[in-house]
Amino acid sequence: MQADYGTGISSPTPVPMTIDPSTSNAAVSAAGLELHYGATPVLRGIDLSLGQGKTLALLGPSGCGKTTLLRLVAGLLAPSKGSVAIAGQIVADAATNAFSPPEKRNLGMVFQDYALWPHMTVGGNVSFPLEMRGVSRADRERRTLHALDRVGLSAYAGRRPSDLSGGQQQRVAIARAIVAEPQLILFDEPLSNLDRELRENMVGELAELIASLGLTAIYVTHDHSEALTLADQVAVMRGGLIEQLATPDELVAQPATPEVADFLRLGGIAELERRDACWVFRNSDIALMRADEGRTDNSRVLIPVAAITPGDIQPDRLAATVLRSQFRGDGHLATVSLIGADHVELQVLSRHKLKPGDGVGLLIDHDQIRWFAHPVHSPQ
Amino acid sequence: MFKSLKSLSLGVVAAALMAGVAHADVTVYTAGPQSLIDKMSEGFTKETGIKVNVFQATTGKVMARIEAEASNPVVDVLISASWDTATDFEKRGWLVKYSSPNAAKVPDFLKSDYAVAQGISALGIAWNTKSGTPKPTEWADLTKAEYKDMVNIPDPAQSGSSFELTAALAGQDEFKLFKDLQANGAIIAGANAEALNPVLQGAKAAVFGAVDYITLAAKKKGESIDVIFPASGTVIAPRPAMILNWSKNQDEAKKFIDYMLSDAGQKLVAAQMLMPARTDIPADRPLIGDLKLLKFDNAAVYGKRKETLGEITKIFGGK
Amino acid sequence: MAAKSIGGPAPAAWLAIAGLVLVVVVPFVAIVLQAIFPNLGQGSFSGPFSSFIATLNDGALIGMAGNTILLGACVVLASALMAVPLGVFRALYRVPGAALFDVLLLVPFMIPPYIATLGWIMTLQPRGYLQQLLGFNLSPFLFSLAGMTMVMAFNTFPVVYFAVSRTVEAVGARYADVGRVFGATPARAFWRITLPLSAPGLAASLMLVFAAAIEEYGTPAALGRRAGFQVLVTGIDLRISDWPIDLPGASIMSLLLVGLSLVTFLGQRWILSRRSYQTVNGKPTSKDKRPLGALKLPVVLAFSIVSFLATGVPLLSILATALSRTISGGLAFDNLSLDNFLAVFQNSAGALGALANSFSLGIGTALITGLIGVTAAYTVVKTKIRGRLAIDTLTIIPNALPGIVVAVGLILAWNMPWLPVTPYNTGFILLLAYCCILLPQPMRYATAAFQQIGDNLEAAARVFGASGVTAFRRILLPLVFPSLASAMLLVFALASRELVASVVIAPVGMQTIATFIWRQFEQGSIGLGMAMAFIAILITTLLPLTLLALLKRSGLVAE
Repeated sequence: MQADYGTGISSPTPVPMTIDPSTSNAAVSAAGLELHYGATPVLRGIDLSLGQGKTLALLGPSGCGKTTLLRLVAGLLAPSKGSVAIAGQIVADAATNAFSPPEKRNLGMVFQDYALWPHMTVGGNVSFPLEMRGVSRADRERRTLHALDRVGLSAYAGRRPSDLSGGQQQRVAIARAIVAEPQLILFDEPLSNLDRELRENMVGELAELIASLGLTAIYVTHDHSEALTLADQVAVMRGGLIEQLATPDELVAQPATPEVADFLRLGGIAELERRDACWVFRNSDIALMRADEGRTDNSRVLIPVAAITPGDIQPDRLAATVLRSQFRGDGHLATVSLIGADHVELQVLSRHKLKPGDGVGLLIDHDQIRWFAHPVHSPQ
Repeated sequence: MFKSLKSLSLGVVAAALMAGVAHADVTVYTAGPQSLIDKMSEGFTKETGIKVNVFQATTGKVMARIEAEASNPVVDVLISASWDTATDFEKRGWLVKYSSPNAAKVPDFLKSDYAVAQGISALGIAWNTKSGTPKPTEWADLTKAEYKDMVNIPDPAQSGSSFELTAALAGQDEFKLFKDLQANGAIIAGANAEALNPVLQGAKAAVFGAVDYITLAAKKKGESIDVIFPASGTVIAPRPAMILNWSKNQDEAKKFIDYMLSDAGQKLVAAQMLMPARTDIPADRPLIGDLKLLKFDNAAVYGKRKETLGEITKIFGGK
Repeated sequence: MAAKSIGGPAPAAWLAIAGLVLVVVVPFVAIVLQAIFPNLGQGSFSGPFSSFIATLNDGALIGMAGNTILLGACVVLASALMAVPLGVFRALYRVPGAALFDVLLLVPFMIPPYIATLGWIMTLQPRGYLQQLLGFNLSPFLFSLAGMTMVMAFNTFPVVYFAVSRTVEAVGARYADVGRVFGATPARAFWRITLPLSAPGLAASLMLVFAAAIEEYGTPAALGRRAGFQVLVTGIDLRISDWPIDLPGASIMSLLLVGLSLVTFLGQRWILSRRSYQTVNGKPTSKDKRPLGALKLPVVLAFSIVSFLATGVPLLSILATALSRTISGGLAFDNLSLDNFLAVFQNSAGALGALANSFSLGIGTALITGLIGVTAAYTVVKTKIRGRLAIDTLTIIPNALPGIVVAVGLILAWNMPWLPVTPYNTGFILLLAYCCILLPQPMRYATAAFQQIGDNLEAAARVFGASGVTAFRRILLPLVFPSLASAMLLVFALASRELVASVVIAPVGMQTIATFIWRQFEQGSIGLGMAMAFIAILITTLLPLTLLALLKRSGLVAE
């Protein structure tokens, strides 16, 4: 079924004002949420719940469905199955055909392309949500200036959006999103159009703003550092499903799947098989460590960056060749492949620069290796 | 590939554009029917090998073109729908004296030293036989209630013969007939064919003063239409052919006039339902002898052209 | 050689200037001079401005100018009333059969206005097709200002419909939804966001309609005369093509008409430059559209009625007339006949010659305007050479030159006795006229295309060793070709049916499709004229579509 959101004309079913007990204490929750375009599933069953004053990041590669999920929460799309509730009230439920349009959901939203209305001034853009809520003119002016002041643009109220730089436009968009103090603010990859330095500054500013205003927010991004910096909860999404929903700390310490670990760039992923009493890299004769009892015959593991110490090639170390290397601020992060097991690529942090083609010996702290419970066959 | 395509199509365009003019030997401007001049040119070219270039339009447009081109004229032979053109051009000294050997059988009132009629049309009432109105027999019939809002009048400003009919009839009763027509809902409706077209479909029942040959040709094609020549009299319009004195192809032009007046040429005229200029060529239609002609003083009528047209405009409004 | 080594600009600019002078400047200057010096035709500069007083004192002129503006305004109003609601529904809602309606509403472009008018006359006059079918007629309505307005609005409203549906669609998807997130109801989002953002595009399209309406000849000539309604174009035509002719008067009226068009066109440019909101990023997709709900039936009905009136009635009327043995026979089965179509194919009255002439002229016009358009656009957009502003200005003038004015100017310019060679009285004069009238199309498309090409693409070609000319030919030309090709196809379709200029300046012995049809009507062979009209509409619609499909398949044209 195609998605739609009701209009004045199509007279949507009135939204029942009942409170679902299971979600009553959540600012936002979704249950069994699915969305199909024709036969193509975009979301395949999403369950989540976000507490008041918390920030949830939806993290994933493009096409994973994160923006679609956000638009479902915003009311710009209607679910094919499942329900969404905001502040305990069901705003969309495919089963009862209940649907409350975006303007009834008391939201703020920041868009990737800013979406400032070009025919209004900066001030006009920011005061629009207040106007829609019937705030008096004097109050509107005061609150608009206050919101613009928060993002450092109070001097620009009379300008046209097109006169401003990209960073300034995004600040206006943020002011517009917070001015009416909505119960929920949605961010749709707000920083992805900005260059790196500006982006890093804005992440900081945003984090401060969210904390100081106590905002409840959903933040969509494909940048794991943004997500881990801003969010209380991170949902890593893949193929229309939430792969893992956890706090940033849990996510880093205990990624649920190799894919999550890989997406968060926590280290190298390797497949191991038990041969004799050793764990051996699959399709090679290179042994990683001794095998304990009770484990399965093969497994996938994450070898975190922090678990590897690089050095010269010595008999007790795994020999590897440097493929590429990039400076990362605290050192050179090199990707290496094991000699004798070319298909295994690991990440190593080195104090000094490693050149492609160099040999390097790897000392691996076995305790830091994270074992994934069951071998998961990657869809690729 | 694109280049060759371009040059090819340019070549085609150039060839098509030049085709019209380059090989023309005699240029004829005519206010007569297109199909007549087409057939006549074809016959002429077949007989003499001389090609004919044609511009066909209403008399007003033909005259306008000649005037616009006055500084750089190209026309050799002009066939007008109004004898007045011949008189006017002769006075201006624009014509070449020529008497075709084939003009012997053309009555004197249809030729002068400078011009000779190609054929003659007359004006009548064109009436749609399926219109549900009684068949009119007189001009004044069209002021009767049966024809309320059902009559078109060709614009006398756009047609020489229409003007002559208007002037002749208006002179008899000080425009009373036209005032009555207007009171009965008759309207002035453009040039001859424009006035006739609505009568064909039945939007109007009759044309007051239609050019007969167009109507007769339509009747021959199967349209339910007829021409009535009122017994009280009508006007005829001889169509003068003349050779312009700036013509660089005067011999060819004279040959064209000869062909026009030949048996073959006159038969073509008759086939268009015009009266042939030569009295010895038969035609399947009423001839001059069958019609009663209105009497009027040509010079006086044309002397008051502007006043007459002004009065008509006043009666019928518009413009 | 020195210029060439600097780059493509110089040759392109020279080509553009030469073409513009020949096609635009010559006729325009001729009109201005003739208006000032009434005896110019005799080679005399005596009595400057003497005709102004006589012409401008003519009470009829004020009436004609007033009628022209009145008719233009009425057509604009009627087009807006029809097009805006339909466009908005098309943009925001899922209208069943929307794609089909789009095609049906495109067809009026392909029906020459004078043919559509005659189709309406045959349908609505007493005992017309409407009366034959339903027993009543609408003659008093048709032969009035209201009738003229309706016929012309049906011809021009697609311009507004497509402009509105496209801008509202883009704006609606991108900006109006944002408004709803911030609390606006659909109605408020429409009034506060969608409408103001669409207004410039709407206003610009309405001004285009106004400009087209004041230049139109066929409809006022066929309908207005009966209503005693003269406009400037018919007045000019009368002065120039009926005896006695009045060239100075026609020139002055032409300048008046040019003035009106120019004001309109400058107004349009001003609106667009001042308040044009780029909404290119909007990704309107049908899945974002809303269902019509209870309005489904009325909206589909409205679309069907308008499509039927704009496309169905004229086409059916043309076809019915073309297929009738006799007009007086009416809509009867035994009156059905293919005689008229056979007559066209048997080259009766030079029908095939007229087709060939028009299509040759159409191809020639498309190629020449394409060449001038692409070089002029390149010079204006991509170079910094002096004089490009002059080129820009020259390409604006034809927008404000109605066909009849171009024709008058060409006669004045090329019929001077002292000219050693002249295109006058050859087919080239028509080519010149069509090029002048239609030049703005390729220019507009090519300018837009060049503006979207980054300067670095050409620079890269130069760095990698291409000369300026080569860079233009190998890099820029292929990139603008898709836009240029569509513009040239449009030019072809419009040129092959042009009436106004053709009637006035067609050379001796040369017929075009439009003059052929016009002449058949003037001689009472309505059926033959309509058969020709039907064939011409078919060809000018199908040929460009086929070519586009072929180009698309070969990958030369996107979208």
